[in-house]
Amino acid sequence: MNQFTFDSRLKTFLIGFMVLGLVCLGLTFLVDDELHTRFWTNYLHNTVFFLGIAFMSLFILTAFTTAWAGWHTVVKRLWEAYSLFMVPGLILLLVVIAGVVGHFHHLYHWTDAEAVANDPVLDGKSSFLNAGWYSLGSIIIVGIWIFFAWKVRQLSLDEDVNGTTEYKHHHILRVWSAAFLPIAGFSSAAVIWQWIMSIDAHWYSTLYAWYTGASWFVAAMALTILTVIFLKSKGYMDHVSIEHLHDIGKYMFAFSIFWAYLWFSQYMLIWYGNVGEETVYFHHRQQNYPVLFYGNLILNFVAPFFILMRNDTKRKYGTLVFTSIVVFFGHWWDFFQMIKPGARLTAMEAIAHHAGEHGHEAVEAAGLPFAMGFTIPGLLELGTMLGFLALFAYVVFDRLTKASLIPKNDPYLAESLHHHVEIHGDEGGH
Amino acid sequence: MSRENKDVLYGLYDDEQDLLKAVDQANAGHLEIMDVFTPFPVHGLDPKLGLAESRLHIAGFVYGALGTLTAFLFMTWVFTRDWPIIFGGKPYWSVPAFIPITFEVTVLMASVGMVVTFYTICGMAPGIVNPTLDDRITDDKFCIAFDVTGAEDADKDKLKSFFTASGASEVNTKTI
Repeated sequence: MNQFTFDSRLKTFLIGFMVLGLVCLGLTFLVDDELHTRFWTNYLHNTVFFLGIAFMSLFILTAFTTAWAGWHTVVKRLWEAYSLFMVPGLILLLVVIAGVVGHFHHLYHWTDAEAVANDPVLDGKSSFLNAGWYSLGSIIIVGIWIFFAWKVRQLSLDEDVNGTTEYKHHHILRVWSAAFLPIAGFSSAAVIWQWIMSIDAHWYSTLYAWYTGASWFVAAMALTILTVIFLKSKGYMDHVSIEHLHDIGKYMFAFSIFWAYLWFSQYMLIWYGNVGEETVYFHHRQQNYPVLFYGNLILNFVAPFFILMRNDTKRKYGTLVFTSIVVFFGHWWDFFQMIKPGARLTAMEAIAHHAGEHGHEAVEAAGLPFAMGFTIPGLLELGTMLGFLALFAYVVFDRLTKASLIPKNDPYLAESLHHHVEIHGDEGGH
Repeated sequence: MSRENKDVLYGLYDDEQDLLKAVDQANAGHLEIMDVFTPFPVHGLDPKLGLAESRLHIAGFVYGALGTLTAFLFMTWVFTRDWPIIFGGKPYWSVPAFIPITFEVTVLMASVGMVVTFYTICGMAPGIVNPTLDDRITDDKFCIAFDVTGAEDADKDKLKSFFTASGASEVNTKTI
């Protein structure tokens, strides 16, 4: 079947999970500290994670188009649908932006005017880390991404109806794709600094944007495998064979290694340089959040590296689904450990300051005891994640119903249908 | 190592699809193929010829693991036992500093080990000249070869008619 129908059972199922997510967010708000740090970090964490997956899907699609790749054509409708989640993603982000402008959360230390005035480091960064940049920058940049996603989608859908053998649509698509790549590269770094890195406002790393982007990339690939296998189990996407899944599995494997490479490069340079203002980020996490710190490496490097190294594990649904779930959860975990420790410190200092004590000394005196939702993700975090995932899936499935799952006039369709990667495989010839 | 010369009867095909069909026909006619030569890997050819999957990658993993251990243990020994020096106030046993070299030696041993193993398996070494049936099988021709050393003329005719029937563009004999 090439036309996806979003049946009401699946809708009810996904809405159920969205309600669960809302309930979890609500409960988090109730059991929270006075600044609602856990609530706001959970909200930011999931918004940024899923918005990033949507962005990265568009990046993947445009990069493949620019590289004249053909194999992915039978799954490209899926990435188009993923990229359209940027619209609800931006709406979710507007809540965080409103909080920065209206001062009703304490996610970022640099939003505190008094702290900035007394802190030369924050003051020096205030031309970039300010409410104007955060709000307008995010809206304009994500707006540009959405425009490109819409353009790519329109061209692809129009090709289905009006496509000819002159492949005009594809030529135009190639130009738009190539134009998007540099824009995506530079603009994603800017918003990653704003959204996530500025939580540890004193700290910075030039590798951070790549490392975060690699995290989104692997998560997007893992989600693609899970969605394809789900759709196949429902009788859709017959044209996506194990050969395509093998290639997506390779991407997941390769970029898990790429992610680990970036993670280690960032870690080792900072460890070697041993400059206090740089090491504070890792020292804090290694000392106070060892489960997050080491769990991150096991989930995102050790597990996929050893499981996916063999050829046949990338050609079996069982191992692919298992690794995809591990890695998807792993990168969600990665964002958790990027966001939580810094935001917790900011909140603790703010609370101590409100109580009339000196921020730094009070935090150091109190130490960092185990806190559910910060030291490790709790059930409320998992529920929230499932809620956001259900929202993401709802939007994706809804977009999938709008077009055939096979882009029938794409010039690379025939190549993709005959895709064959296994030299030693049984299916000879075409 | 001495080796008897072989008389080889071989046919050249212009296309890999013709080759795959011809191999099927040869299998159906119980003709014993000596070897098949192609300018590039042809998908689906190996199972038709009954070739098992290569185990070179297993050797590669073992060489790689050996490289990891060699580099890591050597550095550990040097910097904790043999000649401990404090670099930049770091501990003697500084794992992060060992990782890049461990990685490099892993890659080096895996790649060099696999090349040497592959050359050994294929009987290749500097100075050894392997006979080729036809230079064009490294360019654009696909070749099926039969060993006809001491074969009857009737058998050779049968093979020749197989080549003609399966669409070979050329049929030759060569002693290698």
